[in-house]
Amino acid sequence: MKGLLLKDLYLAARYCRAFLILEIVFLTVAFFGKANVFFIVYPTLVAGILPMSLLSYDERDKWNQYCETLPCSRAQVVSVKYIIGLLFSGVTWLISMTATVVRMVLFDSFSIRELLFWGEILLVLGVIGPMLLLPFVFKLGVEKGRILFYVMIGLLCAISVVVNSVGLQTSIASGNPLLLTIIAAAGILLYLLSWRLSIMFYKQREL
Amino acid sequence: MNALEISNLSKKYDGFYLDHLNLTLPQGCVLGLVGENGAGKSTTMKLILDMIRRDSGSITVLGKDNQKHLQSLKQDLGVVLDEVGIPACLTAKQVGKIMRHTFDRWNDAVYASYLQKFSLPTDKPFKELSRGMKMKLGLAVALSHDPKMLLLDEATSGLDPVIRDEVIDIFSEFTREESHSILISSHIVSDLEKICDYIAFLHKGKLLLCEEKDRLTEQYGILQCSQAELMQVNEKAIIGKKLSPYGAQALVRRDRIGPGWSVRQVSIEEIFIFMVKENG
Repeated sequence: MKGLLLKDLYLAARYCRAFLILEIVFLTVAFFGKANVFFIVYPTLVAGILPMSLLSYDERDKWNQYCETLPCSRAQVVSVKYIIGLLFSGVTWLISMTATVVRMVLFDSFSIRELLFWGEILLVLGVIGPMLLLPFVFKLGVEKGRILFYVMIGLLCAISVVVNSVGLQTSIASGNPLLLTIIAAAGILLYLLSWRLSIMFYKQREL
Repeated sequence: MNALEISNLSKKYDGFYLDHLNLTLPQGCVLGLVGENGAGKSTTMKLILDMIRRDSGSITVLGKDNQKHLQSLKQDLGVVLDEVGIPACLTAKQVGKIMRHTFDRWNDAVYASYLQKFSLPTDKPFKELSRGMKMKLGLAVALSHDPKMLLLDEATSGLDPVIRDEVIDIFSEFTREESHSILISSHIVSDLEKICDYIAFLHKGKLLLCEEKDRLTEQYGILQCSQAELMQVNEKAIIGKKLSPYGAQALVRRDRIGPGWSVRQVSIEEIFIFMVKENG
């Protein structure tokens, strides 16, 4: 498993440099641009989807087949992508949160409620990409998985319209502690469920 | 102990059926799988590695069931597939570091010696290597963790004749140790002829024969004569024949042809071509 992780870190260092630049530019704009939501949220969302990019490189290079000749189980192959997803999202989340705190202290009044709100939103956005995408990719391969992902995004947008209409968004924004806890717990649970599902799908797949 | 035992192995795809394959590779020996494209060589390799699900049958590798003990077995296997599968941006140096954390018995010194032997650059990305060099890097990885058995799927294809000869020597060196075995598939039958103890012919998913290489060349021979003369030969002796306006050429069983016929030495490639193409 350590070997697999190391391989993904080498690949990330080589292919994900553009993401690092995007992260710096977006956070700088968010920092000085008076809290433009898009610039805070987007890097976290992209960081979550990086495991998917690594999987597409694996398929292109036929690493997924080569991996089958190495002493690694399919569960380990899947787990590494989920761990990498957490790692990238976690680091991006930390940077974004630090920037938010500094911005609040320097330019606005510091609000723990607002900080909690942003922390939660960014956390959920960080895990939502791999959580939704990876089971499809491990079952169907990168190309077909990507199409299904877009269908899921469409469904999510529909759900968000419903959430908005019943006033839940206002409740989250106001920092309702119970609701925030429920969302965080559901996020963790769904991430673990997605992990388990991906292992199950990948074990059944013929390579 | 047998290094590999395959019994009644079947796998069905659309338009292809690996039909109850039975193969045995004794420990310390080299078995060559010969077959045209789509004969089932790669499917057999994939089934041994459990990359695809079998429909029926069983596979034992180094005395262990390949599905129950897959992960521990792979510590003892060195595998090179027809496309190596190392990520394009990685260098040989980085590959070595990854494998150090992957194989329990990985040996950096052995790996370095193979890189040197194959004249492989350590800091050049995999994508910038030639096909031959890529294959050699795959071989270096396959040989550097003290494997007991090598599975080589078209591992010599894409290599120039000099390098192929070098690689064949390395395989011969590998099997000098009694516990080491090799299963190798190749289109280049002359390579297999050089190193194999056993030869198996696969054709459209069916095993035509699996025999000791020396026995094959002892059992069979090529008869060159006129078409009229060929008519007088015992039909049971003829395995395959090629007729032309200039005469006839037939693959015959030496023990059935009877006295008086001049039969020349046959190569493994000729046996295969006659069995597949000129049969009947």
